Amino acid sequence: MGSHEVAGEHQVAHHFKSALDEFEACKQAMWIFLVTEVLFFSGLFVAYTVLRVFEPEMVKAAHHFLDWRLGALNTVFLITSSLTMAFAVSASQRGDNKRVVRQLIYTLILACGFCVVKIYEYSHKFHDKLLPGAHFGNTELTANKAGLFFSVYFVMTGIHALHVVIGMGVILWVILRARKNEFSPNYFTPVEITGLYWHFVDLVWIYLFPLLYLVG
Amino acid sequence: MGHGVALAHGDNYINHSKGLKSWLNTLDHKRIGIMYLIAILSFFLVGGIFAMLIRLNLFSPGSTLVSPSKYNQLFTYHGAIMVFMVIIPMIPAAIGNMVLPMMLGAKDVAFPRWNLASFYVYLSGAAIACASLFLNGVDTGWTFYTPYSIRTSTSAVWVLLGAFVMGFSSILTGLNFVVSIHKLRAPGMGWGKMPLFLWALYGTSVIQILATPVLAITLLLAALERIVGIGIFDPALGGDPVLFQHFFWFYSHPAVYIMILPAMGVISEVVPVFSRKPIFGYTAIAMATFGIALVSFVVWGHHMFVSGQSEFANFLFSLITMFVAIPTGVKVFSWLGTMYKGSLHFHAPMLYAIGFIFVFTIGGMTGMFLATLATDVHLTDTYFVVAHFHYVMVGGSLLGFLAGLHYWFPKFSGKMYAETPAMIAAILINVGFNVTFFPQFILGVLGMPRRYADYLPQFTTLNRVSTVGSWIIAAGFLLVLFYLIHALLRGKKASDNPWKALTLEWQSPSPPPHENFLVEPVVTDGPYDYRGAKAGPI
Amino acid sequence: MADSNQHHKNHEHHILADSTAKQVFVALIVLTIVTVATAQVDLGIFNFAVAMLIASVKASLVFMIFMGLKYDHRENSVIFGSSLVFMACFFVLCFADLLTRGDVYVKGSILPESLVSQPSKFPKAWVSTQELVAHGKELYSAQCVSCHGAEGAGNGIAAAALNPKPRNFTVADGWKNGPKPSQIFGTLTKGLNTMPAFASLPPPDRWALAHYVRTFGPHESAQDTAADFAKVGVDPNKAEDASAGPTSIPVDAAIDLLSTD
Repeated sequence: MGSHEVAGEHQVAHHFKSALDEFEACKQAMWIFLVTEVLFFSGLFVAYTVLRVFEPEMVKAAHHFLDWRLGALNTVFLITSSLTMAFAVSASQRGDNKRVVRQLIYTLILACGFCVVKIYEYSHKFHDKLLPGAHFGNTELTANKAGLFFSVYFVMTGIHALHVVIGMGVILWVILRARKNEFSPNYFTPVEITGLYWHFVDLVWIYLFPLLYLVG
Repeated sequence: MGHGVALAHGDNYINHSKGLKSWLNTLDHKRIGIMYLIAILSFFLVGGIFAMLIRLNLFSPGSTLVSPSKYNQLFTYHGAIMVFMVIIPMIPAAIGNMVLPMMLGAKDVAFPRWNLASFYVYLSGAAIACASLFLNGVDTGWTFYTPYSIRTSTSAVWVLLGAFVMGFSSILTGLNFVVSIHKLRAPGMGWGKMPLFLWALYGTSVIQILATPVLAITLLLAALERIVGIGIFDPALGGDPVLFQHFFWFYSHPAVYIMILPAMGVISEVVPVFSRKPIFGYTAIAMATFGIALVSFVVWGHHMFVSGQSEFANFLFSLITMFVAIPTGVKVFSWLGTMYKGSLHFHAPMLYAIGFIFVFTIGGMTGMFLATLATDVHLTDTYFVVAHFHYVMVGGSLLGFLAGLHYWFPKFSGKMYAETPAMIAAILINVGFNVTFFPQFILGVLGMPRRYADYLPQFTTLNRVSTVGSWIIAAGFLLVLFYLIHALLRGKKASDNPWKALTLEWQSPSPPPHENFLVEPVVTDGPYDYRGAKAGPI
Repeated sequence: MADSNQHHKNHEHHILADSTAKQVFVALIVLTIVTVATAQVDLGIFNFAVAMLIASVKASLVFMIFMGLKYDHRENSVIFGSSLVFMACFFVLCFADLLTRGDVYVKGSILPESLVSQPSKFPKAWVSTQELVAHGKELYSAQCVSCHGAEGAGNGIAAAALNPKPRNFTVADGWKNGPKPSQIFGTLTKGLNTMPAFASLPPPDRWALAHYVRTFGPHESAQDTAADFAKVGVDPNKAEDASAGPTSIPVDAAIDLLSTD
């Protein structure tokens, strides 16, 4: 494999036989990392299901205090950002660094939109004392153990939002590298694995939205 | 090895670059492994001192050495340090890091930077956990059961977060190993020609990847429970404390196999080398490794038989747990089959390996007693449980580690240790171990509960025997420390392949060069083809 | 590896066409609208099932096309699939316990009617009788003998491990709470130093123990006054059960409950 004829700065690490080997290894590592993410979130999903199964009335009553329109808006933000991310990845595979930068900036803007909506939601929850466990103090929602629903809500969406913020940082780093024309059809690993991560963040939200906002 | 020997012995990974900074910033897996080894042995010393204090306090009934609340902290730190900082990273992160790429015939692990990062993550996690020592300590036991861990006035949050951080280090190591095994095997090394130590590390890594994230979320939720009061595990707020135990053991039962599988891998290397015979049942051992890894995820409820878990779940977990015995038995019989009619060489690694098979079998069989629902209800939280898991963790993991340490020591230090003190130490540790922990089986059956600073006077004799045993183990370890340091400073030069082993790491000079091999190795024969001239004596 | 190198050489990076990406995007938006719409209709338990089904279709579009598992090595599909398998194990076995834990979610009293309203065999248990002393002796040999000894001299087998030493009942002096029946009753209810509280014994049993313990020594002179009775919440004129303290479940009844559960 001729990794040396390739334009650009990237040097294949000494212990890999080829650029393709290195790419495949990095991509697989990302998939393994996503496996750990699935199992990390699974604990929260179990905690949620416990509430849903044993306190169905409470969950139903409590979810009316979340605004599904804001949840839906955030869903649209994330799905659209997944599309722009997919565009960015295929652009990097073609070596079109300009388009990579453009599409990633769109992705960042959409992610900012998501965060703004989230902050708006959180500030309302704090104002209405719709808070986790011991701090729950809302007087309108009288259902037994309603604090637990908001514990699960805050921990799940909080950890998800943390992932969004980390993802934004990584996207910014990739933008800076793309501006230096670092990516080419032979080396686009950072864009590809950032894409995997970002799609996964979207994937988690796809479940969080109906579970938290649309109990029915 | 005719070519380039002179060059090789001039330049190796130890003298390749000089200065403390060249070690702290190194990306060389061998140096990272050695830094792990030093850190782990230091924590082992600390955890060991706590263990000696526990045994000393139990030398006589009544309040002797420490107050009951200090005693609670002693066994908590002993458990937490030994589990999270010593046994879990001991073989994979220290020995595995050094050996795995060489066994693969690779120049390094797949992601050297992440490898170094994992070491510093481990150190930071350990530092956070140990910070609690200088605050209010922690007295929850290493299991952090709620609701006590929410209410205790001690600094439980620090240890929770420390273990949380160390989990990332464990995940990084596992991830690195899986990708390395998938992508960096030497030409000719198909899955069926991979040494069994690599199969064991592969199985271990799979568990680290799949189970550790659940520990992370569990510890995070427990910490939030203390800091914010989220209530998911807190009965006072409507939560379920037994759910915490489910979460905790979903990680911590598979974690038991993170501890034992690599040790089994070491034994699978050592036994054929010192029996001068091909391994018996290569495929069976490799598959059993995976069998154990998979079954380990569906048996966790056997830690919870008296927790208030439903009787149906008790029955189910009791039943599934029995299946662990099958792959484990396959391994034990395969090792015995390898030794049968072999020409056995009783060097130090082999003595530890035989000790391992002996005590691990006892540990495993008593595990079956505890998996049996009705028996467990009687034995839960007695010294029988303490003896059982020490037979598996100390007798299993630690003896496996010592076997590996003595087996690979000449390769990575380039020096040979003195044979006689090594054999004396192996015998001291094996005997001391049994003297310490066998009486605890009897104490447990008689009903002595664990985790108390005191006991009834009728248990005095057996407790004294146990404490004396702990001194014998300590003497053995001090001897090991002494002759290994002596070997490093003035040991004889080790040859490239002192045990005449066939796996790839022995084809490289001792100590190996910076990039592991002088020529890229190509695998033609299996790792255990001890036939004809290759089966000759060591 | 020779074979897989060959494979690598033939392997081209798959580039996702913009048109495919757009189609997936439209599908995801449409499915989001469908989820929101179905949530407005009450389908009972099916709401949850439908929502999860739609979410899973959306998720598989994301990981098959956007994340490219469809075009990738099978290895990566196996890796990602394993996370779902083990997550399923986590769910199934947690709920194997939670859903079959009948006793935790029982509403109302878990004690059978007969146990709750059983009349005591010993009304006015604060007045010593032959039967009470005999009953006290039985209880003493089960509950107290290991520390206080068979002769009540405070020299049971476990006494050696205790500090301060257990009470010697045969001497008149040194009783921390006093040797009157109500005072011993109080000690039994609350515990003292290393002695645990025996509040789980029903009050008549505690009175019976008090009367029996007094037979070891010269305590005839120490008798209860009205003020003493008031301290432990007993009205000596009422011919009722002296039920000071909260009701608790007798051990036998608890074992019966467990075995019939």
